[in-house]
This record gives sequence, structure tokens and C-alpha cells, in this order.
Amino acid sequence: MTAAPLSRRPTKPARSPVLLLGLLAFLALTYLSLSGQFGIGLDIGRLIDDFGRVTTVLWRDNPNPARQGLLQPNWAYVPQTVGPMIETFQMAVIAAVIGCGVALPISFLASRLTTAGRITLFVTRSVLNVVRAIPDILYALVFVAAVGIGPLPGILALILFNVGVVAKLLSETVDGVDQGPIEAARAAGGNQTQTVRWAVLPQVLPNYVAYSLYTFELNIRASTVLGIVGAGGIGRALFAQYKLFNWSNVAVTIVELFLLVLLIETVSIWLRRRLV
Amino acid sequence: MTAARATVSPPTGRPAAPSQLRRNTGLLVVLAVFVWSALTIDVKVGRLLDLPSGLWLIFDRMFLRGGPDLSYLPTALQGMIQSIEIAWVGTIIGAILSLPVGFFAAKNVSSGLVSTIVRQFLNAIRAFPELILAVAIFIPIAGLGPVAGALAVGLHSIGTLGKLTAEVIEGIDTGPVEAARAVGGNALQVQRWGVMPQVLPEIVAFWLYRFEINVRAAAVLGFVGAGGIGLSLQQTLVFGHFAKSGMALIVVVVATILVDSASGWVRRRIIAGPGSKPVPAEVLDATGHLG
Repeated sequence: MTAAPLSRRPTKPARSPVLLLGLLAFLALTYLSLSGQFGIGLDIGRLIDDFGRVTTVLWRDNPNPARQGLLQPNWAYVPQTVGPMIETFQMAVIAAVIGCGVALPISFLASRLTTAGRITLFVTRSVLNVVRAIPDILYALVFVAAVGIGPLPGILALILFNVGVVAKLLSETVDGVDQGPIEAARAAGGNQTQTVRWAVLPQVLPNYVAYSLYTFELNIRASTVLGIVGAGGIGRALFAQYKLFNWSNVAVTIVELFLLVLLIETVSIWLRRRLV
Repeated sequence: MTAARATVSPPTGRPAAPSQLRRNTGLLVVLAVFVWSALTIDVKVGRLLDLPSGLWLIFDRMFLRGGPDLSYLPTALQGMIQSIEIAWVGTIIGAILSLPVGFFAAKNVSSGLVSTIVRQFLNAIRAFPELILAVAIFIPIAGLGPVAGALAVGLHSIGTLGKLTAEVIEGIDTGPVEAARAVGGNALQVQRWGVMPQVLPEIVAFWLYRFEINVRAAAVLGFVGAGGIGLSLQQTLVFGHFAKSGMALIVVVVATILVDSASGWVRRRIIAGPGSKPVPAEVLDATGHLG
């Protein structure tokens, strides 16, 4: 009976001071980043003025069909892109197969459930963190410095990139498996390798295949940019044309890339759906 | 009954193993494509022999005898700060623009045709890496420099964040939406009070996650002249100043890991509140967007 009648509106919960501090930090960071003195100097007004410059890239009259704009694709250039396209595909396949193969044992070492010991777990996870912190194109640049230009440094960079991605995803999947079969395998006298092989691997195999397909997809996307540092594939052709300002050839390459990515993605999603 | 039961043979033998035909065919196809690729690609396998010595030489000059060159630290730090600023501005551009786009791409709050069109548009954006966007669109507009990089990162982020936002909106509880409609809310008010409060924490977590990815992307934008530490990395590596590259690499790795942990901490607080256990990373990674 002492309870107040329900007619009044309940009071709003108090705003947390953390929220206010966060908002202030956000505004300060944004201001600093945008300012010309400390940051990148983004000036919307100037950008709108400069926007007109894009028209010279989009459309230009030139007797040479290779030197027209982005909206005038030079389809005669297509035959020359076939070779680099195939190279891109091959690089992606080789790197995905090797990278995913190497990642399989590593991901068991990087999972709490199947690792060989606390130190192994810590070391493996730290190494994987560092491997993932470095972008693939940077690996490509280092490998170009080590073995020279061509598809080889590109493949090596993609392998490292794939090991990082698959080992992270798969080790997290292994962390979440049903532990019943592991207990059963141990109870039946299985050693660590046998337990992983018969109790864990069958549970994560569909995910593993799905992740492998996913990295293959990522490889096709990545190999478009690896060529920028001389690591082979279609990116090399694309960047060479860009440096010559052959925008109509650039346009053709971009369209082809888009179609290739779309095709691979569609096939890969279809396969992954059937698997998992 | 008893007679029928007797005809069923007792389960004495081991059951037959399920057919492995499909699995084996798949493996064979992959193997065949792999072998074809390995044999026909234009790689001189002999160069692999140079790899250990080449890598060791670079590693030695980067981190052991030659470097890292501490005098290069201020330059590297400056470049990395610019990369983080590019990522920050790019993420804000992506976040602001992807929010309305995400609503239009979500099937349950937008119409079927509109959502299909917007989704295809988002797919098209995502097909191009930041580097390509910078080269083909933004450097011609804004010139060489960090502004082109930030715009490229921003456009790519619209593609990924728009898709994720749409997926979050498609998973909402319809109760609050009905309630907002029942009390007479117009279309905008229904979105603001029925949908937004449900999806905002998760979407903000995606923004932060995207920021982490964008820091990595912004670290290499300098390769094409779009600002940040990438320029230092490329110049020093190409001209063989490995001691300086080593310093820049250390800065990139440390800064990336620091940003990841800071952003991960904020993400946890947003999703689960103070003092909570870490959210497993697969919640975010399962969406298939590592980078």
C-alpha cells in the first residue's frame, strides 16, 4: 500500500560520465584528424571545387583508344589481360592450398583445448597476432626485396596472410567444439595427436573447408593490389596502365576484376552453404 | 509381430562406412588445379633457394646488426599517426553514410526492390580494395596525399558497414516496431524509436571493428601516394634502407596492436557493459569480414 501510484513517469536513468568523456575524446580526435595543422587537412569546400577534375579522368577525347577516360573502356585491351588474370588465379590457388595446409596444425596449437602447453599456446598466439598485424602487401614488398619481382613474392605473401587468417578462425572454432568426444578419446587411451585426429578434426572439418574457400576468395581480391609492389598478377598490369594514365585500359581491367571476384564469390558461397 | 522382427538381421557387423565419393572428387579437383597452377605459373623455383638467405639478410639489417634505426623513429611515428588519422576520418565517413544506407538495404524496413538495388551497390563497392579506389577515383580528384586515402577508406567502409548494418537490422525483434506504429509513430519515428535502440550497440561495435581494419589498410595506402606511413615503408624497402624499414615496421606492428586492444576494450564495454568478460572475437569475425 505504501508503493507510489503508477501515474508518474519513471525518472530517466542517469547518464554515465564515461559516455560524456568518450564523446569528448571522440570530438577531440576527430578535430585533430581533420585539421590541416595536425591532421590530414580535409577541406570539404576545396574538395567540391576539385571534384570537377574527375571529369578529365572519366571522359577524354583522344584518338588512341587506350588513352581515353574511365567511362570509355578499351575492349581491345582484353586479350592482353588474360595472361595476368590466369596468373592471379594460379597465385590464389597455390597460396590457399599451401597456406591452409600449414595453418591446420598451427590452429590446434593455438587453441586452448588442443594445445601442447601454456607456453606453446602463448607463443603461437603471439606470433599469429604479429603475423596478422602486418598487411599482405607489406609482406609482398619484403619478399620482392628478398627474391625479386614476379609472382613468387606474391605467393609467399599470400601464404603468410592465409596462415594468419585460417589459424585464427579455425583455432576459435576448435575452442568451441563439443568436448565429449575428446574425453572419450582420452578415456580410450588416445594420445594428444590421436585425440585431435579422431575427436576434434571431424568436428571442425566443415568449418575448415569453408574458411579455406573464404581465404581463396580473399586471395583473389588481395592479388589485385599485390602487383602494385611488383608481386605479379593482374595488379601489375593494372598499375602499369595507371602510371601511363591509360584510363580506358584501367577501366577494362577493373571491370574484369569485378566480374572475377563476383564469380568466385558466388561459387564459393554456394559451396560453403552446401558444406556447413 | 514376432515373425517380422525375426527377419531383421541382428546388428552384428560393423555398419558400412558412408560413401566418400564426393569428398574424394573434391580433393582430386583441388589437387589437379593446384598441380596445374604450380607447373604452369611463371615462377623460377630455383629462386626459392635465395629466399632464406635473402630474408635473413633483410632481417639482419632491419633488426639485428644494422638496425632498427632509432633516428628514424620520429618520421615513422609521424607517418603512423597520419595513417591512424586517415583510418579515423575514413571510418567516420563510412559510419555516417552507411547508417542510412544500411536501413535502405535491410529487407524488413525497406522495400524489396530498393533493398536489392542498394545491396548490389554495396557489393560493387566492396569488390574494390582501398588501394584501387584511391588510385582510380580519389587521387585524380583530391591529388596525392592523405585526403585521397581517407576518402578511399571511407568509400570502402560504406560497402562493408552498410552490409553489416543491414544484416543487424534484419535480425531485430519486431515487437518495439509494432509498438511504435501502434502509438502512431510515422515512418521515421518508427525507425528512430523502434529499430535504432535495438541495433545501435552492435553497429557501433562494427564501426570500431572497421576502424581496426582501416588502420591496417591506411598503413599501406602510402604505397600509391595516398598518405600515411606506407610511403616511408615503400621508399626505405625499395632503396634498401632496411634499418629504417625495420623501425617503421616495428612502429606499424606496435601501433596496430595498441589500437586493436584499445578498440577491443571499448567494443566490449559497449556490447556487454563494464566489468564484463570479453566478447569472443568470433561473434564479429563470423560475419566474414576480416579485411
